Amino acid sequence: MRKNYELFFILIKIAVQWYSHFPLQSEEVSHFVEKKSCPVLFRVGETGHCSFDPDFCGVHPGHPYPPAGLRGLQLFNVYHSAWFMILMALLAANLVVCSLDRFPMAWKRFRQVSEPDREDLFEKIPSDQVIIKETPLRSETDRLELLLKKKAGRVARRDEAGRSYLYGEKGAYSYFGVYIIHLSVLIIMAGVMIGFLFGFEGYVDIPEGESAAAVALKGGRGVKNLDFAVRCDRFFIDFYENGTPKTYRSDLTFLKAGRAVQSSAVLVNHPVAFGGMRFYQANYGMIPTGDPVMVVTQDDKKIKDVKVAIGMAFDLPEKKAKVQMVRVEEDLMGMGPAVKLSIQSPAGEVQLWVFQAIEQIGQANPGLLEQVPIFNPGLFKPYVFSLVQANNRYYTGLQVAQDPGVPLVAVGAALMMIGFMVVFFCSHRQIWIRLDVKGDKTRISIAGKSNRDAVGLERAIRKWLDAVKLNKESAA
Amino acid sequence: MINTIILSWTTFIYFAAFVFYLVRMVSGKEFWGRLGTVTALIGLFAHTAALILRWITSYQIGIGHAPLSNLYESLIFFAWSIVALYLVIEWRTKNRSLGTFVVPVAFLSMAFASLSPNISSRIQPLIPALQSNWLTTHVITCFLGYAAFTVAFALGLMVLLKGMEHENHARSQRFIRLIPEPGILDELIYQSAVLGFVFLTIGIMTGSIWAHYAWGSYWSWDPKETWSLITWLVYAIMLHARYIRGWRGKRMAVMAIVGFICVLITYLGVNYLPGLHSYQ
Ligand code: HEM
Repeated sequence: MRKNYELFFILIKIAVQWYSHFPLQSEEVSHFVEKKSCPVLFRVGETGHCSFDPDFCGVHPGHPYPPAGLRGLQLFNVYHSAWFMILMALLAANLVVCSLDRFPMAWKRFRQVSEPDREDLFEKIPSDQVIIKETPLRSETDRLELLLKKKAGRVARRDEAGRSYLYGEKGAYSYFGVYIIHLSVLIIMAGVMIGFLFGFEGYVDIPEGESAAAVALKGGRGVKNLDFAVRCDRFFIDFYENGTPKTYRSDLTFLKAGRAVQSSAVLVNHPVAFGGMRFYQANYGMIPTGDPVMVVTQDDKKIKDVKVAIGMAFDLPEKKAKVQMVRVEEDLMGMGPAVKLSIQSPAGEVQLWVFQAIEQIGQANPGLLEQVPIFNPGLFKPYVFSLVQANNRYYTGLQVAQDPGVPLVAVGAALMMIGFMVVFFCSHRQIWIRLDVKGDKTRISIAGKSNRDAVGLERAIRKWLDAVKLNKESAA
Repeated sequence: MINTIILSWTTFIYFAAFVFYLVRMVSGKEFWGRLGTVTALIGLFAHTAALILRWITSYQIGIGHAPLSNLYESLIFFAWSIVALYLVIEWRTKNRSLGTFVVPVAFLSMAFASLSPNISSRIQPLIPALQSNWLTTHVITCFLGYAAFTVAFALGLMVLLKGMEHENHARSQRFIRLIPEPGILDELIYQSAVLGFVFLTIGIMTGSIWAHYAWGSYWSWDPKETWSLITWLVYAIMLHARYIRGWRGKRMAVMAIVGFICVLITYLGVNYLPGLHSYQ
């Protein structure tokens, strides 16, 4: 079975080498690009679990795109590759085989109570582990046996003519610590597999006041319909004085068959569970409500805003002017939303087009405003007209996850800690005491063995020596 | 702020402690060793005081949190753990040669925190993702683990140096002679690796619990998580090699050094990759 251990090494080596040559899956590249280039809304990135908004998860925004070699090593999306599954299965099989192979030995060592009369052990002990006492052999043996029974788990005694042997041990269970740890590794692996096979991770963006009943699965794996709906009642952000975000919060209502069943607030670090799933605050953003507004400014100061609608009219009293929207276009000549104004004033009529994207249009066509005055939003001085999308609304970006493997992983983790305690902090400690008659005195020798903790054994032997020297039973 | 001033002084105190430990190794006079210990103790005292002050200050400016939330604070705490752990080991083993190898790491960590232009020493408010009770447990356990691995690494260097004993001339002979026997070093490497391994495991577990609440998944294979797993596996291999193959001495020393390189990648290297864990 030593060979098995070698296999374990080789597997890890193969895995590392294999991985460094593994090409990045194209799917991931596209997500990365999508995250970086989507200008208007911060879309949830499907490979990460949060938006590209740097404040949200502590992501440093300025990181360069990693070079290909490093990308390979990051084990992106490692869950979903077949080789990872195979590796995990092999590792688990190796672990099972090794443990099964070695377990009987540990069991034997655990069951076996050592012979009390191990003369060989006493041949090697230093002279200070031998004590000569006045007390008779019998009573000393009885006293030490009692003491041993109090201190050790298992005790054995053998009396011969002129000599007695005592044996005590504890911590034999520590041989099983390794198997507890290995079992915990298997349990964690099982939990991960269950999560992978039966769980899902998805995302959904819900504008304030609206509800959703389906989520987009991670990695573009389709859409999952929920048998309930989630409504976002409100989304809040709170900032510290220096402008760092302090709180993101969504007030959610869960609806079943149109009826509100549960209302909860979701915050970062405080997910909400509903219907066997967990909802996480993962993202947020703004969406325009769709109602454009005409804003009138004078010397860079906003003096009026008016809802955009055909026929809408308003006054500019300082110039005794009357303005009317005579045309409203969603997309004029491919240049975006535009409104045509007709302005009646004592100086006559002026007509002009107000484009929402006037800045970009001006930049793309230098000199346009001079050549085509009708496109100049500042034509009717001193007023400047502009179109904006008013009343932006928040949407909340929720991550939705279901992982039935979590309890198993948690049990595995707890078991691993127990295993650690047993393996690293417990040891099998054996004590042999030999008593023999030396004239009218009793010679007492102490020997010990430990599978792991030599220092602790040393200390224990010292304690036994002290106990032997004393006559009171309360010793040690 | 006063705490950062104390901390930059602490950096120099640790440097002084390192120099004293080094003089002890070169001159062979125990006086310098004692001076090193006293200096390191003063440094640790100032360091602890500064951490507490920083904590109090953060409450006074209304964004109270334990000083464990950004790269600066983590480097400072890393150094604190190293020195604290080292002084415990020195006290338990009554041997000062490890100081020459460990204290400079603490000094470098402090110096990096104080001097690097990209690292802000300001107390920053916690962004929502960091507002979790798990932050403190996670960071403390991870860094105690890193500190233990640092000690194992330093011991590994000592083992390798000790291995060159006879090939050197008189002056450095004394330096090497003052390094404890390979058997003692080996036991210490093993114990530090175990300590680090247990803390790293708890650190990974607390981190997973936190991720479970903050990110919607207990494990997401971001670079830091992946590297922490690699580090964990390297130390698992190291401990297995000892149990099963009976590896001792140089081989364990090499494993301790390899493991420490993984720790450095996990801690600092991955900041140069995009991921959820990067420090701001
Ligand atoms: C973390 C603490 C761990 C400790 C203390 C530990 C300890 C041990 C010990 C003592 C053995 C020898 C078994 C025996 O003598 O009966 C062993 C074998 C083994 N361990 Fe672990 N183990 C740990 C974790 C792991 C992990 C995480 C894995 C795999 C992911 C693993 C995989 C194995 C394998 C495959 C063997 C079998 C080697 C063989 O018998 O040929 N162990 N371990």
